[in-house]
Amino acid sequence: MSKRKSSHRSMNGKNFIILPIIFSLLILGICYAVVMPSARTFIKMGSLFFSDSEKNFSNDYNNIFVPVAEEPEEGTSEVSKVEEPKTVPLSSIEYPKIGEQFGELIIEDCQTDVKLFFGDGYVELNNGVGIYAGSFIPGYGKTIMIAGHNCTFFNGLKYAKVGQKVKIRTSYGNYTYEITDIQIKNAKDKSAYDLAAQTENLIMYTCYPFDALGFYPDRYFVYGKLVSGPVIDKKS
Amino acid sequence: MSDEVELHFDPEKKHEHHHSRPKRSVVKPIVYGFMSFMLAFVLFLLTVCMVIRLTLFSSDFMIGSMASCGYYSMVKDELKDGLTALGHASGLPDSFCAEFVETIDFRQVEMNYIVSFYSGSSTLVDDTNFKQSFRAAIDKYIEDNNIDKSKTTESSLVNLVDKATDIYIDNVSIPFFSILANYIYKLSGTLNVIMMVLVVIAVIIGLLIYFTNEYKHRRHRYLCYAFITSAITAAIIPTIVYVSGIVAKVNLGTRSIYNLFVTYFSSMFRYFYYFAGIYLFLAIITFVFFRIAYGKTAKHH
Repeated sequence: MSKRKSSHRSMNGKNFIILPIIFSLLILGICYAVVMPSARTFIKMGSLFFSDSEKNFSNDYNNIFVPVAEEPEEGTSEVSKVEEPKTVPLSSIEYPKIGEQFGELIIEDCQTDVKLFFGDGYVELNNGVGIYAGSFIPGYGKTIMIAGHNCTFFNGLKYAKVGQKVKIRTSYGNYTYEITDIQIKNAKDKSAYDLAAQTENLIMYTCYPFDALGFYPDRYFVYGKLVSGPVIDKKS
Repeated sequence: MSDEVELHFDPEKKHEHHHSRPKRSVVKPIVYGFMSFMLAFVLFLLTVCMVIRLTLFSSDFMIGSMASCGYYSMVKDELKDGLTALGHASGLPDSFCAEFVETIDFRQVEMNYIVSFYSGSSTLVDDTNFKQSFRAAIDKYIEDNNIDKSKTTESSLVNLVDKATDIYIDNVSIPFFSILANYIYKLSGTLNVIMMVLVVIAVIIGLLIYFTNEYKHRRHRYLCYAFITSAITAAIIPTIVYVSGIVAKVNLGTRSIYNLFVTYFSSMFRYFYYFAGIYLFLAIITFVFFRIAYGKTAKHH
């Protein structure tokens, strides 16, 4: 009798756990079945706001720039002369991500020697100059638009003159451009650039006028053409 | 199922011979089990509504989350970064922007913005004070540094103030707030009605379980089932959220909004645990009552 009683009690004890778990799963199942059909769209929309990992808000930037030795000018007898290839396969390039430093820009005549980033956000323009992400990297054969602040890294553009050389050094090759034109245009003037151009052209731009207090609608555009540098082979 | 114990104390079996096998009642446990399930379901829905009421629909909760995650100081840092970048494009030195940001107290502006949002009125940030202060600071800067006024124009200064104000509004306002404001305001009244209806239903089911059972231990047992179920169900949702770590993976533009979001929703899901704790407490009480009543009934028989 006592054995039977204890068996009853233990069964009763189990019911205080098993039954609520079953009930709980039923409740969640019902809620899922009722809510999901109408909530699926909202959940899919909401999932756009989530990524696979936690976002990094650090102001530090990733530097993927590894300088390539420059080709010595003609007449010099440098031992460690490195022959730059005329084409670079796209597959061999580490295409920069937004916010990464992938090169440097030098205009000796303008006392400008700055870090070159991909992207033109706060971090990029507070540390150097940045390529507008809707344009292309050097060697790609299209338009390269580089932005910089007129009071900091692109202040030297005020000394820019037609014929001056602009050097861009990247991990996959060194490029030289020649300034062909300088124009002052409104920031909203779309004729200032052609992002669909099929020839490589460099556009550096900054706010104008230089060294003035206030926010002006004009931009200072400096245009350049490619002189030398490896072409990116997009097919390989 | 769980009816084997109570079968020994069923009144209709009093007349049966002690050694004969008691007759099993199938309907009663199913009916009371179902009522217990329904009570748990209603309590779960009530929990969800109450958590929404206490968190999503509460301006105090939002303001509390802002204070606890250091939102104001982060906004200040971001505002400083934004104005510094603007300064790089407009001739203002970094020191000017840093010093100016220190003079701004936007807590009250932020609080008014939140409160007006929850009350269904304007969802716009009041930028009057910032605009005036920034303009006054620029004028003072020009005067203090003897800046040649020919090097600047009134329109460029107005543009500069407008740009700075845009940065201020971007930093102080909360994304999607203006879109959600209308819905939250309208749903707030409906939610109160839903909660009242759920409370009434829960009380009715509870009373039915309590007063239609002849034996005290059964009353407490079925109530105990409902409370344990409610505790488990309420605890499952936040546990899934915490284990998946989904809240921390939200992709928001600024650190301040990200931290606010994570703090806000982590606190919100914590409320489910609080309710689970309350239900667990009630479950323990009803279980103790069940054991006492069970002991007495067993003694009596």
